[in-house]
Amino acid sequence: MSDGAGERAGDEGGGLASGADPQPDFSDFDQLVASLDRWCGSLRDWGPAAAIHAEWSRVGPRLDRARRELARVLVVGVIGGTGTGKSTLVNALAGADVSDAGDVARPTTTAPVVVAGPDVDVSWLPLDALRARVVRSDAPAVANIVLVDCPDPDTQPREERPSTGAPERPVEERSRPSADNRNRDLLEQVLPACDVLLVVATAQKYKSWIVAREVAAFAPGRPLFFVQTQASRDADIRADWRRELESQGFRVPRIFRLDGVEAGRRAAAGLAPEPGFAELVTAIDEELAGRAARRVRRTGAIDLAAWFVRESRDRLTPLGEPVHEFVEGITTQRTRLEGLLAAAVGGKLRSQRHGWQRLVASEVVERWQGGPFATFVHAVDAVSSLWGRSRLGGGLVGRLLAGGRADAKPDGSPGWLAVEEIGLSESEVEQSRSILAGLAARARIGDPLVGRARLDDSQVQSLAVTLLDRAGRWLGTGVERMVDDRRGRLGSAAVHWTFEVLFAALLVAVLARAGWGFFYGHLWLGRPAEGAGFLQQAFVWLLLWGLALRWAVFRLVRLGLERDIAGLVRGVPAARLVDPLLADYSEAGRRVTDYLAEGRRLDHMTTRLAERLDEPTAALGRLRPPTSGTAP
Amino acid sequence: MATRDRPVNDPAGASPETVTGIAVTVRALCDVVEAIAPLGASLGVPAPEEMPWHGALFGTLQAQAARGPLVVAAVCGGTNTGKSLVANALVGAAMSRSVAEAARTRHPVASLPAGVAATADLGALFPGFVPVAWRSDEDALDPAAEDRIIWREDGSRRQPARLVIVDTPDIDGTLRENWHRAELVRDAADVIVAVLTQQKYNDAAVRDFFARAAAAGRTVLVVFNMIDWPAQRPRIGGWLATFTAETGVVPLAVYAVPHDQAAAAAGRVPFHALPELTGTAGGVDTTHERDPGPAERLAGCDFDRIKRRAVAGAWEVVLDRRDGMGTWLDAIDRAAGVWRETATFLEQESRVRVDLPPAPSDIVWNEIWSWLEPRRSRFDLAVSRLYRVAGTGVAWAARRVGLGRSSTERREDFTALEIAALKQALTDFVSRLEDACRHDPRLEQLLGPRLASADRAVWYADLEQRHRALPLVSEDYRAFVKDQLDRYSAENPELVGWVVTALNAGAVARPALTVGLGLAGAAVVPAAAATAGGLTTLVYHVGDVVVGTAATLAGEGALGLTAARLAPLVEQLFVGWSAERSRVLAETLHDVVLGDRLDEIDRLATAASRPELARARQLLDAVAAEGI
Repeated sequence: MSDGAGERAGDEGGGLASGADPQPDFSDFDQLVASLDRWCGSLRDWGPAAAIHAEWSRVGPRLDRARRELARVLVVGVIGGTGTGKSTLVNALAGADVSDAGDVARPTTTAPVVVAGPDVDVSWLPLDALRARVVRSDAPAVANIVLVDCPDPDTQPREERPSTGAPERPVEERSRPSADNRNRDLLEQVLPACDVLLVVATAQKYKSWIVAREVAAFAPGRPLFFVQTQASRDADIRADWRRELESQGFRVPRIFRLDGVEAGRRAAAGLAPEPGFAELVTAIDEELAGRAARRVRRTGAIDLAAWFVRESRDRLTPLGEPVHEFVEGITTQRTRLEGLLAAAVGGKLRSQRHGWQRLVASEVVERWQGGPFATFVHAVDAVSSLWGRSRLGGGLVGRLLAGGRADAKPDGSPGWLAVEEIGLSESEVEQSRSILAGLAARARIGDPLVGRARLDDSQVQSLAVTLLDRAGRWLGTGVERMVDDRRGRLGSAAVHWTFEVLFAALLVAVLARAGWGFFYGHLWLGRPAEGAGFLQQAFVWLLLWGLALRWAVFRLVRLGLERDIAGLVRGVPAARLVDPLLADYSEAGRRVTDYLAEGRRLDHMTTRLAERLDEPTAALGRLRPPTSGTAP
Repeated sequence: MATRDRPVNDPAGASPETVTGIAVTVRALCDVVEAIAPLGASLGVPAPEEMPWHGALFGTLQAQAARGPLVVAAVCGGTNTGKSLVANALVGAAMSRSVAEAARTRHPVASLPAGVAATADLGALFPGFVPVAWRSDEDALDPAAEDRIIWREDGSRRQPARLVIVDTPDIDGTLRENWHRAELVRDAADVIVAVLTQQKYNDAAVRDFFARAAAAGRTVLVVFNMIDWPAQRPRIGGWLATFTAETGVVPLAVYAVPHDQAAAAAGRVPFHALPELTGTAGGVDTTHERDPGPAERLAGCDFDRIKRRAVAGAWEVVLDRRDGMGTWLDAIDRAAGVWRETATFLEQESRVRVDLPPAPSDIVWNEIWSWLEPRRSRFDLAVSRLYRVAGTGVAWAARRVGLGRSSTERREDFTALEIAALKQALTDFVSRLEDACRHDPRLEQLLGPRLASADRAVWYADLEQRHRALPLVSEDYRAFVKDQLDRYSAENPELVGWVVTALNAGAVARPALTVGLGLAGAAVVPAAAATAGGLTTLVYHVGDVVVGTAATLAGEGALGLTAARLAPLVEQLFVGWSAERSRVLAETLHDVVLGDRLDEIDRLATAASRPELARARQLLDAVAAEGI
């Protein structure tokens, strides 16, 4: 019952106990509470964090008030099963019959009775809401505390068992005397106003399930006294009770054993109190009054914070592994999509042989002027342009290799078709998102932290624009570098003139041979002139030689192209190109991981602080502090 | 089963017909409840064990059938109220040790009349318990998780011969399993000895426990223990009035036991009868001058009347209109009705349109050609072969200049598009399931964990793997085509003849006859696709889910066939091919994504028509008609 840690508003101020206390340095605790407050409010879109925040909205104000009202008198709630002698004990402590007690009928107390010293201000208690009666007492035992005799938890009818949807229970059952009994509800309204619980039990009731449930619900942040009553009738059950309490997670330094009836009788007769009762009165004075009240409140606040952190840890621990798997899954899916993109882009670049040739070689060769080879190449290009250019196709790669601008906006509104060119088809992207949606669901991450696996048209459109823009810039830069590299290689004068010399060599040889044949053979030796046949043959060889050299130029362009493309696509992960497709998942993964890390930090901080500021007492029990964190 | 020939204090009063008459009906009812219970649990109906009729049926009626003349008296009460003390007093010897610590008794202890253990089936006598023979007082304190009943025989021979006395664990302590064991004993008992104290007589846990016993017609003896005697004697009337008003218990007798630790330790506690509080109690003559004490009082009871009351009370609980077994059956009916709605909702929500790429026409046509082959003329076949050779050459040339794609390439293109479409359909399907779960908490409960806990990458890998392993034309599909064409030709012999003639004529012009024919996907599933692979429910669902195919037919001879009104047949063959292909999606969904969940939904939605439910109602009606 987590709402037990809840608190009611509206109990500002209050009677101040006397004396200032040289208290330990609590600035660390204040800092812890501030950090917890920030942490709890930081990721409310995540289900588990929202549950922690809801718990904090009950615990936070209690911690805040405990720090503000360190000096207010403590409210001690007397809790226990009906017939255990709560009212008898309260009467004995108050030194008068302030609360009805006895064995006439169960339950005896049906409304809380608040016992306070004559001058103690109790106006901050929500008395009307609790239907509480205030009784003033000048008994020393209640001089520095406010004592509340609480209704019992065990006579109100239990919660209905699960319904089969059958008709209402019969009238005669609902009109039983206990139908109007609301003692437990009332108890649960009173206990939040209490700072300390005084748990009363007898041999018959110290193992009552319903009492144990209520005590467990309200114990966080509330130190407890344990008292066995009816000592004159019952055997001493303290050893077994201690074992029982310890198994429920309590630290039990001491259990008092007394007889309330006997204590009341002796007080009325003016006799010395019985030893058990005297010990309890002394303990109340030592542990709860004056300076001790501050210590109780501080300890209570630290215990409450520690309890809250432990609860949060228990909530988050099972999610550590799923969150880790989710984050890993994001990396896996990103890598998968990047692989698809790299393969598609690499394939596209490799298949565009003509594109590379034209982009690199044509540009360079156009700048070659004046040589016979340059003239030859220009002539070939002019002729082949008549034939028509080979198509490069559209798309990003085609546009880039056609010399277009990388960052040019795609035409119209791009959809999946535009993105598919770079290997990211709708089905692949949705597959990745669906896998991540499954991992996210396991980590209880959903809407609004992450979107749906399937993207709607407007999302696709804006994603496509971003994606093409990013890919265009990345690819444009890469292609430009490769082109520049190759242009540099080709563009040097040495390369140009090497080709010119090689081409010219054949030309010169042909001319020399023709000149030799004409001048020496024909004119000098008088042989018949060689016909056009020689020139025709020479022209063919010259053409073939020119084309071979032109091929060599292109080969030079393609040299290392494969390696460079591989290098370019290796850089895909670094370019973070596919990030926008999984942006919501990455962001959610980051935020949840940060949240868990901060939770772990606060857990360690709380444990250390609780150890450092621990102020053990001789008589007050409390919930055992958390052990060092094993948070996710 | 107890033997009938052993000495009992009232052998003549034993009426076997009370116990054997009900045995058959009770067994039958228990059987149907056990058969339906798992279904009820899956439907989210509260477990029958939590309802009073279950204890009455299994605890009381079933046990009565096995019990014969024995009467079971159970001593029940809260922690540390002195149950063992009272039980020992009833037995007349120390059957159960009293311990100062509360809630130490973990298992009930039964004291059997001498000789019973050898003949009685103790397991049947105490349903739900494992009987364990008493060895020491520690046996009852054993924290074993198993529900045991520790039994010992009455050595003193002071215990009435037909009376079994049971000391039970507590009903209000921190150990819930103790409550459960006390409830099992209560349901199995004929007489309840309620041990109350002034601290506990009005605790809700105590009231609830005894109210159930009263509602089931149990005979109850009330013992107020730890009384300040005689100071508190005047109070007891008021306490008892509260107790009876709250629980409906009409006590057979009321006793007060003074608080006297010394006497308790010595086992000599006095029981003060309070006859003035039970003027109307039934069962025995209450006009005795002096009450002989609870043990003698019990021994003097009319055991058969007590048993008849217990049986009648149990039947009343089972047949109760507001709380009885009928309400449980109604709840199952209602829950099944909701599941039927859920199943319909799921069916509507999870329809996914799969936009498969157009079927490569040559694949389907090849099948049709091969069926036609024996029916065609030699001329047509020769021309076809010629065109095939010429076509191959043209295609090769086209590929060389980059204008065409080889058939392998085309099939690769097709399978790439196809797997993309199937994967997209899988994503869509899963996302629709998630939406359906968000809208319907029942679906969330059934499918949510499966959707969240599975590694979805495995789903896609499975689909890809199945798709890769799928031959372009499966034997199932061949059989389907042959079956369709055979049936068609049997029904329209003249049309087929016409088609063959047309093909002979059209053979010359065949390569030119590539006319597009758009087909909207009709939901035709090849019989093979619907039944192969052991698919059950899902294929019917997914069958029409995945076959929303837009197939475009660009086939040879299509013009002629269209003219011959063969289009519906050809459509069917094309759609059938696509359906056959998309079967891999159905298989992945069934085997990997949903597993048995769809069968489970089907089981829940059809729960109301289960024969066991009708049988249960029939049995209840029969009992009600006969009268209790």
